Order: sequence, then structure tokens, then C-alpha cells
Amino acid sequence: MDTYRALYIAESRENHENIVKNLLILENGTDTGAIAEIFRSAHSLKGMSASMGYAGMEKLCHAMEDIFQEIRNDNLEVSSALMDALLSASDKIEAMLDDIEAEGQGMPEDLDERVEALKKWTHKGTSGAIAGSGKGTDEDALQSSLRPGEHRFRISVRLKDGCENRNLRGMIVLQNLEDLGSLEKVSPDRAIVEDGEFDGSFVVDLVSDAGMEAIHTISSITDVQEVSIQDLEIRDESETPSEKTGVSVPGKDAPSRKPAQGEKADKGREVKNIRVDIHRLDQMMNLVEDLVINRGRITQIARRYQIKEMDETLNMIGRSVSDLQNLMMNIRMIPLNHIFNRFPRTVRDIARREGKEVEFVIEGGDTELDRSIMDGLNDPLLHLIRNAIDHGIESPTVREAAGKPAKGTLLLSARRDRDNVIITIADDGGGIDIERVRKKAIERGLISAEAAGALPNDDVIDFLFRPGFSTAEAITDISGRGVGLDVVRTTIESLKGSIKVESTLGKGSRFELLLPPTMAIVTVMMVRINGRRCAIPVHNVVEVASLVQERIHSIGGHEAILLRDEVLPLDRLDDMFGHSEKSEILVVIQQQNRKRTICADSIEGQQEVVIKPLSNVVGICRGISGVTIPGDGEVVPVLDVNSMIKEN
Amino acid sequence: MGRILIVDDTLFMRTLLKNILFSGGHDIVGEAADGDEAITKYQELKPDLVTMDVVMPKVNGIEALKGIRTFDPNARVVMCTAVGQEQMVKLAIKTGARGYIVKPFQAPKVLEEIKNVLGS
Repeated sequence: MDTYRALYIAESRENHENIVKNLLILENGTDTGAIAEIFRSAHSLKGMSASMGYAGMEKLCHAMEDIFQEIRNDNLEVSSALMDALLSASDKIEAMLDDIEAEGQGMPEDLDERVEALKKWTHKGTSGAIAGSGKGTDEDALQSSLRPGEHRFRISVRLKDGCENRNLRGMIVLQNLEDLGSLEKVSPDRAIVEDGEFDGSFVVDLVSDAGMEAIHTISSITDVQEVSIQDLEIRDESETPSEKTGVSVPGKDAPSRKPAQGEKADKGREVKNIRVDIHRLDQMMNLVEDLVINRGRITQIARRYQIKEMDETLNMIGRSVSDLQNLMMNIRMIPLNHIFNRFPRTVRDIARREGKEVEFVIEGGDTELDRSIMDGLNDPLLHLIRNAIDHGIESPTVREAAGKPAKGTLLLSARRDRDNVIITIADDGGGIDIERVRKKAIERGLISAEAAGALPNDDVIDFLFRPGFSTAEAITDISGRGVGLDVVRTTIESLKGSIKVESTLGKGSRFELLLPPTMAIVTVMMVRINGRRCAIPVHNVVEVASLVQERIHSIGGHEAILLRDEVLPLDRLDDMFGHSEKSEILVVIQQQNRKRTICADSIEGQQEVVIKPLSNVVGICRGISGVTIPGDGEVVPVLDVNSMIKEN
Repeated sequence: MGRILIVDDTLFMRTLLKNILFSGGHDIVGEAADGDEAITKYQELKPDLVTMDVVMPKVNGIEALKGIRTFDPNARVVMCTAVGQEQMVKLAIKTGARGYIVKPFQAPKVLEEIKNVLGS
């Protein structure tokens, strides 16, 4: 049964994704193709769930299918309220699938309510009232006699108008009150409050020995506009209100269809994919790396003893090993769609909440990236997307006034550029007000007014990435690039990538993330310093020049060199490698537009290496990001240009 | 202001929250990357408030919330949730979470929620 379950889950997820995708299409206008797709997916889901015995899922999908049946027959129109109901039902489906995957039964407590909420759409004629849960037990609980010290309170709570999730806030209030005593009655019904189908106000009867003060404090949570408390015992008992909310329960015996009568296309599915725990892949990768290192050592030995036959065999092994290495790399690569596909929903929700109109375009989702990088990318991307909608794209009225189309465009695209993957997030919103940033930087004492005036725009934008610059609350509205750009940059850099911004005031902003396709293997430049080898990641190397002693100057106790028109600080790395008498080469390194130079004896060339982190025994070593072991078995440190540049 | 324990499996979110909370004058007493660690750290640090991610490897936020509440029934736990995880939040609230904040985070909202929960 377990094997079926895995297949069931995999396919159900596909169907679920298909439903969400098409719902979003449908939201932009009716589309018979999308309607048919959703109907089909809901139907397949229902059928599969029935065969697996997941009755809850079957019921929910059945209700969804019925709705689309009606829509197909033109008996029902797609409204935004219906859309919300459908989207929340599809969220439910996802949650239930999660539960089933965790070996549950996919039977959440509020399932019936959800199903009823959908059914009311297909029963429009018969029950216009709000469908609530049929349980309604609180309601009939008759007033019990009070114990000494206890009071019966009537608490009226009104939530703020702009409150985003009425149901959740309502739930928290009820939950908090329950800590103090027992809830005798909630109106509207608790289930309705939890579903958010109320107008933002509700009344609770609470029996408790707590004081009014305590009740007031515990009810005054975020988004609560007003709480009024009344001690019912003091007033006339007969005043118990009779306005019970009419809870009509639509017929639960909606016509039940035959469970899936044979899926249309019997795909004769054979297992072509297997799922492997990612840790096993990591282990495998490690072994391949060891293999690469040891092959190098054997090659050296063979060369030393001049064994011709062995050389030939080693060549063959070499080829296999590098094929194996490439294969391992490819296995770990997954298409960016993996995370991109989650964004349309997020964009929709944020845009709706902010009252913006956004056309979200995704390009190049099939571009592949190493899984370990992908993992770290979701949150920064989410953050940038959020920023773009929140602060970049203006509200429709502002846009129209500026002569732009009311609907803003947000582009998320990925492409391969030689060895890198470039992800772009571009909006056609208001852009960054560079002058305001400049002003803020001066106000905050980050730069003097004269220096700021001369600073190129790119460097000004760089301030937005400074920690503290962005988190300070007062500036979160700097044309909006709000909290946390510094964190975005740090995260991207920890993935060995970089981030670039271009922005035109009034026209929009464009964030470009440059990422290596994989982190495990890096191209480095091997240099010798004082006879010892050192590896510098190639993406940090700007250029190599010969060292002209006469150009070295001492500025403020530190050496610097004049290279063409630039004055660059010069580092000798003596404490790492010892002083060298024959430094002849100058290597210019760079991180985020900041350059430094280091001296080396000679350059040995470029090569692809596997970087191993320093072991726990050694701990963190400043200036070194790890070690690599080339063919000859020597341990070579890899320079951590990022920390070198930051610390100076 | 409060002594806060941050629980989230991504360094990114932890750092972001830390920055926000720090700017609000709170004291970050610890961080945990999964539910297990969260429970251990809670017992060790006894913070005033915990921000708890819902989806985490090994032990998820809901389970961790349960664990913390068995140790301290009055624990103040605020759930961190992404858009569209409403069901999970409902479950969390039923389990005893005192509040929630929605990713992607907005600093003023986060601080307001934390203040309210600390005050209740």
C-alpha cells in the first residue's frame, strides 16, 4: 500500500498544482480551457482518493468538481468571492496531502465546513445563508450555575476594518479567553468565526473567575479595534439575547457520483523516477571528490615511476571519474521552476492585499541550479518580489496619473550566462529615488555631503544594502526598498553569488542575481606566494599584472599601488605565507566593486577544484574559506576574498 | 522589552527577524534551526517569547509548540507563517500559539504583534 501512496501523493500534487495554476488563469478572465483542466484535475484527484480510501479528500474534490460542472454548464459565474473559496479549498487540499504524506488520513477537523462552504455555491437557490458547521454545540449549552467567585461576562469584540485574517485573530481571542474560563456561547458560531465568514465583530459569553481587567488585556491583541465587557450577573439575567444566528445546514446528501469510472487515459505508468534522500547524494558527492583527489595522486606516482601501462589505464579512469563528477553535478541540479512555481500565488495574495494590479511574468523556469543553492534562494527571492510589489509598483491610480498602464508588470526571469545563472527581478514601478538615498546617507553620517555629491549613483544605491541603513524603521519608505536588503545580499553572497541593482526613477527597478550553478566545484587561479601555493576563486580575480616596484607607495602606513588611474591597497599576505623576496606578479581581486591587490611570485594557471571546508578541529580561519587538494596531494588554502576585503 | 528565542530553519529568516526585533529594542537570547533544538533551548533559556517557523525539518513548528507548552503552559509563542498556510496557523492557534506574523515580514507589523503578545 505504501508504494501506492507515494505514487498517489506525487500525482495528487501534480493535480493540485494544476488546479492552482488554472485557478489563477481563470482569475484573469474566463477561460474554457482552464475550466476543463480544473474539472479534470479535481475529478482525477477525487477518483484516486476514493481508491485510496481517503474519504475527506474525495469529498472536498467532489465539491470542487461539482462547482466546475456548474461553471461549465454556465449555471455559475466565476466571482472573486467564489475564487477565494476555491483557492482556500485548494490550500486545504495541499494541507491534506501533507497530512497524508505524513501517514495521516487527511481528515482535518474543519473539513465538513470547507465542503459545505463549497457546496453552498452549487446550492445557491436552496440556501443563500451562510453555511456553518452543523455541530453548533456551544450554542445549545444551557447556562450552568456559577461556582463561587465566578462571573458570567458578555464580551463584544470588534476587529479593525483592515484586518487581514479575521478568522485567525478571532481564533486567538477565543483561545486566549478560554485560558481564563469556559466559553458558553459564541455568536456568530465559533466555526463561522474560525472560517472568517463574519463581519469582524463577535460576542462571547464567558464564565470565569478572572477580573474584567484581565479579560480586557487578554482580548486586546493585534488588529482588535474595540473590546467591551459586561458582567451579566450584575444586570438583569432575563436580558439574555435571543438573536441566535440562524445556522442553516444545507443538505449533506448532495448527489454522490460514481467514483472515478476508469481514468480516461490509462497511462500504463512505469516507474521512471526514483526519489533519493538528498543526504545520500551529498555522501556520494563526497566520495566522488575523494576519488578525484586520489586519482590525482596515483597519476603523480605513476609519472614518478614511469609506468607506461599504468598511465594509460589512469587516463581511462580519469575520463570515467570526470564523467562521474559531471553526472553527479547534473543529478543535483533541479529546474528553478521548483521554487518559481510557488510565486504566482504569493504575488496574487500580496498584490490583492496591497490593492495593486500586477501582471507576473516568469521566464526561464527550466534553467537548472544546484539544489543546495536553490534551497537558500527561496527566501531572498520572496523578499525581493515582496519589495517590488509593496514599494516598487504603484497603485493603479498613481500609475494612470503617471501615464502608465494601471497594471504593473513584475518580471522574474532566469537564464544561463556562460558558467553562471542570472536571475532577474524587474518591475516597472516607481524606481529608487537616488537623491533621497543620498540625503539619508548624509543624515546618518555615513558619508560627508561633499563626498556624497561626487559619488556615482551605483555607489549610492549600495547604501541600501548596508545593515542598519535599511532596518531602521524611519527609512523603510525610501522609495521603498525596505527592510532586509542587507540580509538578501549576505544570503546571496553566502551562495557565492552577487547582486546588482539598476533603477530609474519613475521607470522601475531591476535586481540581478548572479549565481554559480553549483557551489561544490569552483574555478580557481593557482598562485605561488613565497614558494607555497594558494588558490584564489577566479570570480574574484579582476586582472593580473606585473609588479612594478616603483609604483608602490606608502599611504597612511599601508602600501598601495598605482595601477593605471586607480590607487589600490596592496596586501602582502606575509603572515600567511611568510615574506617573499621575489614577488613579481600583482593580482587584482574584487568583491562588490571594491578592489585590493595582492603580491604573488608566479601564476600556475586555472583549474577546477573541489573546495572542502576547514574541519571543526581547525575552526574558522580568517581569510581562508577552505582548502583544496590538487592532484599532487598537497593541501592548498583557498583565499576568502570576501572577508579579506570586508575586514580592511 | 522582551527576551526572544528565534526558531526558523533558514539562516536568512533568522537574520532578518533578528534585525527587525533588535531594531525594536528586543533582546535575542537564542536561535534554533529546528523544533527539537527549539524545545531544548526553551528549557535552557526560558525566553519571554518565541517566534516559531511552521515548516521545519525533523520536528515542525506545531510539534515544537506542543513540546514547549507541555514544559511551560504559559509559554508565549508567535508563529511565523507564509501566505497561504492559514490551515497550519489555525492548528497552531488551537494548540496554543498566542499570535502570528506573516512572511514576507514587514517590520512594523512584526514589532506590533510581538509587543501585543508580550503585553497580553
